[in-house]
Amino acid sequence: MTRRLTHVGVVFLVIYGLLFFRLEMIQVLNANSLRDHSQNSREITLVFDKPRGSIRTADGEIVAQTVAVSGKQGRLRQYPYGPLYSHVAGFISAENGGSGLERTHNKFLAGEDLGVRIQDNRDLFIDRARTGQIEISVRHDVQLITRAAMTGHVGAAVVLEPVSGSVLGLWNAPHFDPNHLSSHDLTAAMTDYGVLFSDPEQPLLNRAEFQNHEMGSLFTIVTAAAAIEQELSGFVVPPLEAVTPVDDSRVITHTDGVCGGNIASLMLTGCFPGWATMGEKIGRPGLNDVSQRLGLSESSPIRLEGSPQGALQVTRLDLSASHAAIGTGLHATPLQVAHVFATVANGGSRMQPRVVERVLAHDGKVLQEFGPSVLGQSISKETAAELRELLAQNVIHGTAQDLSISGMEVGGMVASPFLAKHVWAVVIAPVTLPEVVVAVLLEHDSFDDHQTAEAHVAAITRRITEAVLRLPSSNVGGS
Amino acid sequence: MNNQRVVELTLLLLAAFITIATVAVAAVGEDVAIGWDALPYLVGLLALWAISHLALRRWAPTSNGLLFPITALLQGLGFAFMLRIDPDSASRHFAWSLAATCGFLVVLAGLRNLVLLQRAWAYIGIFGFLVLVTPAIVTTNSRQPTGSQVFDLGPVRVAPQQLGILCLVVFFAAWLTNHRFRNTAEHLGELERLDGDPSRFLPLVSGWLTTSVIIIFQFDMSLAFVTFAIFVSMWWVAVGRMVDLTIYLAAIGGSIAIALVSITELQDRFAAWIDPWSNSEFGAPITRSMFALAGGGLTGTGPGGGSADWVPGATDQFAFVPIAEELGFIGGAAVFSSYLLLVGVGLRLAIAARREFDSILAIGTTIFLGSQAWAAIAVAVRLLPPTGSSLPFVAFNGSVLVTCNLALVLLLRISETVPFVSDRTQVLPQVTPQARGGK
Repeated sequence: MTRRLTHVGVVFLVIYGLLFFRLEMIQVLNANSLRDHSQNSREITLVFDKPRGSIRTADGEIVAQTVAVSGKQGRLRQYPYGPLYSHVAGFISAENGGSGLERTHNKFLAGEDLGVRIQDNRDLFIDRARTGQIEISVRHDVQLITRAAMTGHVGAAVVLEPVSGSVLGLWNAPHFDPNHLSSHDLTAAMTDYGVLFSDPEQPLLNRAEFQNHEMGSLFTIVTAAAAIEQELSGFVVPPLEAVTPVDDSRVITHTDGVCGGNIASLMLTGCFPGWATMGEKIGRPGLNDVSQRLGLSESSPIRLEGSPQGALQVTRLDLSASHAAIGTGLHATPLQVAHVFATVANGGSRMQPRVVERVLAHDGKVLQEFGPSVLGQSISKETAAELRELLAQNVIHGTAQDLSISGMEVGGMVASPFLAKHVWAVVIAPVTLPEVVVAVLLEHDSFDDHQTAEAHVAAITRRITEAVLRLPSSNVGGS
Repeated sequence: MNNQRVVELTLLLLAAFITIATVAVAAVGEDVAIGWDALPYLVGLLALWAISHLALRRWAPTSNGLLFPITALLQGLGFAFMLRIDPDSASRHFAWSLAATCGFLVVLAGLRNLVLLQRAWAYIGIFGFLVLVTPAIVTTNSRQPTGSQVFDLGPVRVAPQQLGILCLVVFFAAWLTNHRFRNTAEHLGELERLDGDPSRFLPLVSGWLTTSVIIIFQFDMSLAFVTFAIFVSMWWVAVGRMVDLTIYLAAIGGSIAIALVSITELQDRFAAWIDPWSNSEFGAPITRSMFALAGGGLTGTGPGGGSADWVPGATDQFAFVPIAEELGFIGGAAVFSSYLLLVGVGLRLAIAARREFDSILAIGTTIFLGSQAWAAIAVAVRLLPPTGSSLPFVAFNGSVLVTCNLALVLLLRISETVPFVSDRTQVLPQVTPQARGGK
């Protein structure tokens, strides 16, 4: 009996050891990955009703602020422009955590960052609430323009400054009002969150950053870059109507009869079979190489600086070279598309897209500056210049004539991927000395055909570009 | 005066110091609403400990001096964290502590000899069975994501299963004492594998049935684990036949498999346990408790700095989470080391006990406390599917505190029959057929 009693003791020792080991796994070994987990809203919930810095735009509008209210909590997070910045600033709530900058830059706003926490020597000894104000590169006027242009559509628009990588405008539709989620009426906030969460249109989703769509013919810019690099720009594709890929069943056709020529004429006519032939000539490794350098494949999709790495898969060029060349099955987010074209606009130098410019102290002193950061030279200056010329020609007498702006030379592309229910448009303006890149994505709009859809997305993009360039120029261009 | 009581008093003072310190540190933190009005309850709790200590001096002067301080420390920690999380329930917590201490005193004073329990085994068994199965019939609040079966009787919440299980432990200890000799491995030898009194299948079948009923009708994996652990350890120590154990384990495994295949709610809970990240209804308590634990890290956020409001059931099923979050891995490890210590003391008592009934009862009671604590912590760290049992002595779940205190009295009483637990293990006299009934 004593022997068997020892068995019981040993078994209990073992299962308690298991507990010890498991607790150590959670609290010590894996603690960091759990803390950074995308569903972890603990930190942000803890600071929900604490003092919190404001977020303001580059042109001085307050986007989010904490105000004193009467009641038990005493403080309320307010978003004066409601839904206008719902995906930039995000929200903070008592039960549902937060999103956007409220979440990613929580440590500055809540004053947990050491630089914010201790602003002068006395802060070492006095325990008082110090918070950081965040200044973002998004401009209120650009944001208003983008919203106005996108009215009535589902999709996303990104306005990027190619030189610095700063995001000037970022708008997603549908959107939500963060004021409802930050409310002190917890039941109402929970209900609102539940409704937003289960909405099939996904208003909580920041499409520009976290949802990817097939690029379609937008990818031919990468194919063109690869062709130029392999000195195939003079290669003339013989006129043809359709191409059957080597290892893929779907035949690539051109709608307007026979087409061909060098990359310039392929771009101007939107010649899919021609691009496919070009792609086969370049080969998949060549295409993959360029798209990798531009951040489109083989690495996790580019995000705004400080954004969490979300659930998006790493894109790979898996199909045959012919299909890869025309972007079949290659997915990208609107931010990625804007980023690729901004790289072309910026002479091939990739700038990390970012939205936070600087962190300010309570008295306006700059505590931390987030300058432009270069990710690398992905294509040569000459290649980029040639690509810009292609894009400019494409707007003058190619497939993107709807994008032309009077009195200014712009470059751009419009794409409606085969069998897909979304359309893309992207503009570099002005093409000679680029100031902005605008990328627009429209989802499942109820257009009858691709032509109308393309016309719509082009009109929206043109409207945004025109209006942004017409703004007081001292503010655009970072000068 | 008695050595054990001196040990007890010293350790009690230490436990009181830790409790007061925890409350004090939590109270100075910002955002924690512990005011001076909590002071009477704290003083009251310490007074209850003093009374219990004096009662032990009076009615059980030679009983083990480690048991009560360990439980007092756990109770004090539970009180401190309850104050920090929900200061408004201080009065209710105190009322339950008072009830628990009264139960402790009454049983301590009334039950001077465990032979009384052994004689009344049949009544205790029937009572325990009734208490245990009533919730299965009159089920309330059954679909809480984390909840154990709780009755809301106006202001009082009662979770009666624990009491039922404790009664069955007494019953089973007596039954095994009366019947075990015919069936033990020593008596029959491992060779005659299937021989022996047919009555030996009685406990196996009933233990299997009880565990299966709990799994299938109450979806309560923690409670199932507790009954399973108690049954197996008592039976193994008393009878110890390898073949029977194998058959029994296979039967339990079969029940779980059948339940998993056929019951959708159980499947949901299981799915949420295996992958809590993508299941918000059942998964949220698990993910939140994991995030809170990770937030605490090695040394914790300090009392008052955690996110207890955000973790569901932080005063009850997940009572371990705020403790491990705010005191860190070190504090969490200290808490379950306390339980391990309790189990260790209990098992040594079982080894040293003079009478067979005392020995088996000591095992049952020890495992009763130890497995509940294990299950409650295991749920919080995602080792068991999320239907939580309350952390003994810590969780603010009313009647559980009372039941655990009754179990504590049993252990104390058993320890009294052991005049001196030396550091060397005492070996029981070999069990022979003549030892029937243990009297």
